[in-house]
Amino acid sequence: MATLARARSLIHERARRLEAASFWVMAREAFWIALEGLRTHKLRSFLTLLGVVIATTTLIVVMSIINGMNLYIADHIANLGANVFVLSQYNWATSDEEWIRERHRNKPILMDDYTYLRDVLSGYKNIGASAWVQPSPQVKYKNQIIYEVNVTGETPSIIEMEQEQVDYGRFFSESEYEHSASVCFIGTDLVEKFFPNVDPIDKVIFVGGQPFRVVGVAKHIGSTLGQSQDNFVQIPLTTLQKLFSARPRMNIHIQAQDVRQMAALEDQVRAVMRSRHHLPYKEPDDFGLNASATILGVWEQLTGSIFAGGIGIVAVFMVVGGIVIMNIMLASVTERTHEIGIRKSLGARRRDILMQFVIESAVMAATGGLIGILLAIGVAKLVDVFFTASVPVKAILIGIALSTSVGLFFGIYPARQAAKLNPIEALRTDG
Amino acid sequence: MSSRTLTAPLQQTMTPKDGVIIRTENLWKTYDMGAVQVHALCDVSFDIERGEYVAIMGPSGSGKSTLMNLIGCLDTPTQGKYWLNGRLVSELSDDELAYIRNKEIGFVFQTFNLLSRATALHNVELPLIYSGTPAAERLERAREALRKVELGDRMHHKPNELSGGQRQRVAIARALVNEPSIILADEPTGNLDSATGDEIMNLFDRLHQAGNTIVLVTHEHDIAARAHRIIHIRDGKVARDERVK
Ligand SMILES: Nc1ncnc2c1ncn2[C@@H]1O[C@H](COP(=O)(O)OP(=O)(O)O)[C@@H](O)[C@H]1O
Ligand SMILES: [Mg+2]
Repeated sequence: MATLARARSLIHERARRLEAASFWVMAREAFWIALEGLRTHKLRSFLTLLGVVIATTTLIVVMSIINGMNLYIADHIANLGANVFVLSQYNWATSDEEWIRERHRNKPILMDDYTYLRDVLSGYKNIGASAWVQPSPQVKYKNQIIYEVNVTGETPSIIEMEQEQVDYGRFFSESEYEHSASVCFIGTDLVEKFFPNVDPIDKVIFVGGQPFRVVGVAKHIGSTLGQSQDNFVQIPLTTLQKLFSARPRMNIHIQAQDVRQMAALEDQVRAVMRSRHHLPYKEPDDFGLNASATILGVWEQLTGSIFAGGIGIVAVFMVVGGIVIMNIMLASVTERTHEIGIRKSLGARRRDILMQFVIESAVMAATGGLIGILLAIGVAKLVDVFFTASVPVKAILIGIALSTSVGLFFGIYPARQAAKLNPIEALRTDG
Repeated sequence: MSSRTLTAPLQQTMTPKDGVIIRTENLWKTYDMGAVQVHALCDVSFDIERGEYVAIMGPSGSGKSTLMNLIGCLDTPTQGKYWLNGRLVSELSDDELAYIRNKEIGFVFQTFNLLSRATALHNVELPLIYSGTPAAERLERAREALRKVELGDRMHHKPNELSGGQRQRVAIARALVNEPSIILADEPTGNLDSATGDEIMNLFDRLHQAGNTIVLVTHEHDIAARAHRIIHIRDGKVARDERVK
């Protein structure tokens, strides 16, 4: 019994191997026939594949833009720091109408607001303020000048809540803040330009004509949309008030102990600010509360709708492209009826013919997908110049898989027509 | 995946006398042309044994090709029974018929029926591809078959780079390559000049001497004269069945 079972399983194994071997031979043959067809009828092939090409290109470009935006958000807005939200004059992520309304009603956040909140809020881990010097002053060291440096005044606590981190030296101290000391913390762009070979610590640079002693350098951050994020000078907020602007507009950063206390803390800030601004019960806020979570939510909505639109376009073009391929395959089956007859007379089964035409159709569509991918990589590079786009590997895989599946799916009907041809009738047609 | 090796038809619906490869019993083929019915074959019965060399003769339109297509399992009779190697063909499934066409029958057509895009070698490989023969063995056997028909030096030529006689020899190599029980040839010299036709017929003679069973359709006497038996067909009926050698 055991020997018999073994013999039978050996036969099965051999049969399976044979089947697999002939599958690959037939697949390879169908593959070359498809490519040769594409090569010999270039214009027809181009028109045939146009739908699939457009669909794949759209898919990948949309995915690349969304991916680029996500990377941007992840790097720059989500990087506010853990459990930090920001009280500012405006909400950062709003609709256009909302933005116009806020422009008219919202009041600036000022130093008084900061000191008041610092004293009355309870249960926070950190609070800090940050104000811009505008317009950006030029910064000078010896006879070198950098224009358009991002100069901000900060409270000492800010270093614990933002993405900048100390690389060497230190951030300015509480006492330097108290005494409006002329000290500064700089980004790596300034180090590269001013201090390529020397230790920048304790050197004096001139910001808007005022001397500042460098006390620390930040870790390199990188750039976004062509904007360097390392081109900054941070000085004590009090010094900014003394030297540049008596009533600076600022953002107040508040850090909760943990994520569960974020909402309660936001409510506290909202209540305090509304009462300071004497807002009646039904009036909307006249200030912005921005948390990375809410910003991310808005982004997700935005990218979601871009994606939904993209999917619509992709689906339409894929279906159109699939139908065109189906028609071309039907024409090809008619043209090659005699060939099908020959193959059947030599022992091709229905499934052999079916597979041949399905593979041909899939190879054709996959070629369209491949062209679409190359095109999309070019388009994404272009978009990245003036906006942001980054082609994710996932998009390329999805592009190939989707176009191939469209070819498989729309190839089934023509392939079935070919497979069910009667051998003698197929042979009788002129070849 | 079930394999064709295992779906090989096994019905043993009758046990014909040892050595009988083909048995037809009251075969009819009727084409329904709407107003009229054309009886291409009427009540055809005969046996063909292993190793025979049979010519089917008759004027044009007498039903020779119709008969060959039935024997070759390319077509099905309207009525009657046909046994091939003891298997009742009308009971076979589509896949089993494909298996028979692949393994049991080598068909040679008047118009060659080669794939024009493929090389001679690939044309000869096709039956082996459909029988799932592994690559190395497949190539070796295809080359061997081409050498047998003296085309060892033309393997990589496409049909349009070959003469008519060479094309027919490729077709014969293709018919031989799976070592079928029977070789069927429907006017194999019909598209060739007489000198080339003689060469092809010499090849069939050699194949017969090597032990192959051959059934050949022709309307020419000197070609039929090479066979050992001539079945005369007229208006779809067997008019005469004679042994000539
Ligand atoms: N597909 C078909 N439809 C209708 N009539 C057919 C068909 N095939 C053959 N016939 C008819 O059957 C008869 C026999 O044809 P065929 O077998 O081709 O003859 P032969 O090969 O002896 O010249 C002829 O009258 C032909 O017109
Ligand atoms: Mg004929």
